[in-house]
Order: sequence, then C-alpha cells, then structure tokens
Amino acid sequence: MLKADVEVDRREFTLRATIEVAPGQRLALFGPSGAGKTTLLEAIAGLVQPARGTITLAGQVLTSTVRPAVSVPAWSRQVGLLRQDPGLFPHLSVRDNLAYARSVDPAGPELAELAAALGIDGLLKAMPARLSGGQQHRVALGRLLLARCRALLLDEPYSGLDAALRRSLTALVVAMVADRGVPAVLVAHELADAQAFAHRMAVLDRGTMLQVGGPDEVVRRPASRRVAELVGYLGFVPVTEGPAAGLTAGIHPDRVVTGADAARGVVLTGTLAACRPSGAGWEADLALDGAAVTVRLAERPVTDGGQLTVTATDPPLFGPDGAAAAPGRAPDTPAAGSPSP
Amino acid sequence: MAGALLIWIVLLGPVITLLTHLSGSAIASSLTAPGALDPLIVSAESGGITLAVLLLVCTPLAWMLARGTLPFPRIWEAGVLCSLLLPPLVIGLLLIFMVGPYTPFGELIGHFNLSATNTFLALVIAQVYESAPYYVLGAQAAFGAVDPRLEQQAALLGDRPSRVFRRVTLPLAAPGLAMAMAVAWARAMGAFGAVVVIAYHPFGLPLQIWTTLQTTGLASALPFALVLLVIALPLPLAAYIWSARAQGRRRG
Repeated sequence: MLKADVEVDRREFTLRATIEVAPGQRLALFGPSGAGKTTLLEAIAGLVQPARGTITLAGQVLTSTVRPAVSVPAWSRQVGLLRQDPGLFPHLSVRDNLAYARSVDPAGPELAELAAALGIDGLLKAMPARLSGGQQHRVALGRLLLARCRALLLDEPYSGLDAALRRSLTALVVAMVADRGVPAVLVAHELADAQAFAHRMAVLDRGTMLQVGGPDEVVRRPASRRVAELVGYLGFVPVTEGPAAGLTAGIHPDRVVTGADAARGVVLTGTLAACRPSGAGWEADLALDGAAVTVRLAERPVTDGGQLTVTATDPPLFGPDGAAAAPGRAPDTPAAGSPSP
Repeated sequence: MAGALLIWIVLLGPVITLLTHLSGSAIASSLTAPGALDPLIVSAESGGITLAVLLLVCTPLAWMLARGTLPFPRIWEAGVLCSLLLPPLVIGLLLIFMVGPYTPFGELIGHFNLSATNTFLALVIAQVYESAPYYVLGAQAAFGAVDPRLEQQAALLGDRPSRVFRRVTLPLAAPGLAMAMAVAWARAMGAFGAVVVIAYHPFGLPLQIWTTLQTTGLASALPFALVLLVIALPLPLAAYIWSARAQGRRRG
C-alpha cells in the first residue's frame, strides 16, 4: 500500500494531497498543467521534500515531518519513476541499461524473459540513440521492473507519442502492474489517458485535490463546477423550472441526445451557431439565452428555423457556490426546463 | 570551400613552416648535445604534476559551478574568468608578490627548505595558474552538458550519489573532461609568461627555446620547438579523437 498525505510548498501555491493506492491498483492524478501533479510524484520518489506530511510504502515510512522526522533518500526508496523522456543512459547499451540496478544479472534469465515480453529482445546490443521513441520507453519500463521497484510512478510518460503507441504502451504498463502487484500512480493532463489507465482518479487543480473517485464517476458526477470544467463540461446552463430551479446544470458535449426528452434530463433549445464534423459525428455550438453550450451528436443536426432542441441526459447540478447540488438525480424526476422559446 | 581551405592552411602555417625548416642533422645535433633532453624531462614532469593538481582541485570546483550548488554563481565564474584574462606575464609578477621568499607563504614553506621561486615547485605553480582557468571552464561545460535527470534516474534505480557520479556523471562528462585536460596540458607545456618571471630555472622547453634563441640563434632553437610540439600535441590529439569516438558511439 502506498500512502501519501503531504503538503509541498511551491512558489505559486501549496500542494495539499492525500492519496492511497493498494498493491496492483492504479491511480491517475488528473489536472491541468501546473496543478502540482508532478510535484506529488517527486515527493513520493524522494526528489522533493514536503513541508509537512508523511509518505509510507508497504508499511515503511519514507517521509515524515512529524518527530522523529524521517526522509529516506531517493536511492533507497525503490520507487520507479517514468517520465516523458525515457532517460536511458546514452553511454550504455540496451542490455546495460536494463541491468543498471545492481541487483540485476545482465546475463540472467529474468532479463531475457522480460526483454522478450517487452519485445526488445532483439535490441539488447544496440545503443539507446538507435531506438525509436516507443522502443526507448519499453527499455525504460523494463529497467524499472528489473530494479524491483515497489511502486511505479508515471509522469505523462507517453504523452509525446502517437495514439496507437500510447495505447499499446499503456496496456503494457497495466499488464505489468497487475503482474507485479505494485501500486501505480499516473499523472495525466488528458482525460482519456487517465481513464484508460486508472482504477481510480484524483482531480488536482492548483495544488488542491478536488475529487477522488472512479474514472467514470468523476466525469459523470463531478463534485464541483471546477471539476466539471476540467473533465470536459463545455456549458453551464441555469435551470429555471422544476425542483432544480435556481441551480446550474453542467452540459457535457458527449452526454446529449437530439430532441426533447424531459424524462431523461434537461431540455435545451437554442440557436445553432456553428456545426462541424467531429470524429464520426457532429459537433454543434448552441446559443441559449445567456449561455452557450457545445454538444456532440451522432447525426448532423437538422434545425427548425435555426433552432435546435437537445436533451442533456442526467446532467450534474451545481449550487451558486459551485458545489454539486445533489449526489444524483433520478431520471424520473420532472425535467427542469431550460431557457425555452 | 576554397576560402575555408585557405584560412585553414594559413592557420596551420607555423606548423608547416616548422616542418619545412627542419633538417635531420640539425635535429640530431641539437638533441644529442649533453643535457639537451633535460628540458623535455622537466616539462613532461611538471606538466604531469600540473595536470594531476588540476584534476584533483579543479574538478570538484567545475562540478559545483556546473550544478549551480554554489551561492552567487556569477561571482564564482567571474573569478575564474579573471584569472583567464590576466596576461601570463602579469600572473608571474603577481605570483612573486604572493609566494616569493619574503611573503608569508614563502616564509612558511621556507621552514621545509622549499622555495617558490626558481624551483621545480615554482614552475608547477606558474603552470597551474596559466592552465587552471582553461581546465575549469572546459570541465564546467562538460559537467553542464550532463542531463541532471539522468543522474536522478540513476539515483531512483538505487545508486547513492558517489555511485551516480562514477557510473553516470563521469562517463557522460568524460569526452568533455578529456578535451579540457588536453587544452590545459597544452597550456601548461607552453607556459612561458608566468614561468619566465617566477621560474627561470629549471628550464622547461619554452625557456629552453627562448634561451637557445637568445644565445645561439634561430636555427638551433627550432628542434626544441619540434620537441615541444611532439610532447604537447599527442595528448590533445588523442583526447580529441577519443572524445569524438565516444560521442559518435552515443549517437549510435
């Protein structure tokens, strides 16, 4: 079990975060750039000293600012960190990179088996500069696994790679984490990356953990308007009718169907301001009274004299303070009317 | 292309001239005279000691400069530059006032029957002062080119700092360090300005050339110039070739 409950002072803000990751579990830290995600990883790895707090891994205290203060140096933490730059040693061959940790036998069967599993067994004699980006990342992952790290930290390692490679490498990490039973923490600023990886997701913004939950839950039930903005809600519409009147509904572009279906959520009617292809469907900008939303639809929207009616299904509701107003709204409650013609 | 070739040849002019003006008999007669090879030995020994001193004393300084671990790094760098910009002759003059016989340092080492003027020690001191800034700046650049994230990665893989330095920092900086040492070696071999003031004796090769030129003329000074090149150049050339190969290997 990896536990961290720390405060790290940064120039712009103080990072306050609490996480718990069980062996074999995968947590994604999701948030915009500069939210403090990398700082949290570096604190766990021992590269950054927290101002306050404790970090424990498998029962061992790695960092504690409470007396007796503990700070296990990075080199004896056995915590693996993968960054966007694979960080292979350019003066060592692939084999010597894999066998960098002292416990690894460069000619042993474990290295050979892992290299085969990672698909780099034909490259053992090559120098890192000859490898492609994906191959370098495979070597970097293999090097960490051979070093028997007790926790795996991933700092957007694959964000510079193309989507297919990113998917296959993420799947590889997921398989390896499950196989080794180590806790893993991924930092991501792309929601899809975080969701593809994690059992649980923590949303971080300007040093504050806004919400921790399942990767679906965080998107479907954001705890606050700020979380909703971060996970892709592109419109916020005041509700004028029904029990939810006075609250604000968050409109996610993907959670919208064409037509009015008050039983399923909030009906929105507005002027179609723009429409463009998006993936296999269509993305439309809708101008409502005093609000604008963006929706993605399966079919190209057909307007009725410039007007388009859609239903935002089961939207999260937020109070005036921005906090989620209700944990969940049963679909059969009367739909709150929206600005309607 | 032609322009570059011309400039290159002009720059190499002195070397070409040296080779065209030497005759085998002149070399033989100059170098077989009794004691003719003493300056060579003096230069090689003092140069070797100078290099060892630089390596031991200036390498840590260069590393700290490169890593920015020192407070007010600009002031430290300015100090190194300062000694680079001082004319060697001025360094020699100032060294007399710093380590000469009537200075506290001079009196201190006098207790051990040592002197820092006109001795082998004085020669080493002068060579160190003439070559140190070249080594420090070169080594600083070499260490600065090592990505700190690689050192971090090595630490995360279980290496304590001394092992990180040995397994990652040093091998990665080695080509640049070799070049810095080569330049320092060439500087130390050719040191003249400070040496002529503070260490007129024992003769190293540059002073041998100078005195031969003064006493017996150009023709007999030339063979010593060749000797100086022969011992001063191989190390820099070898370092250059080795460092180019090491970098080539890393590029794959």
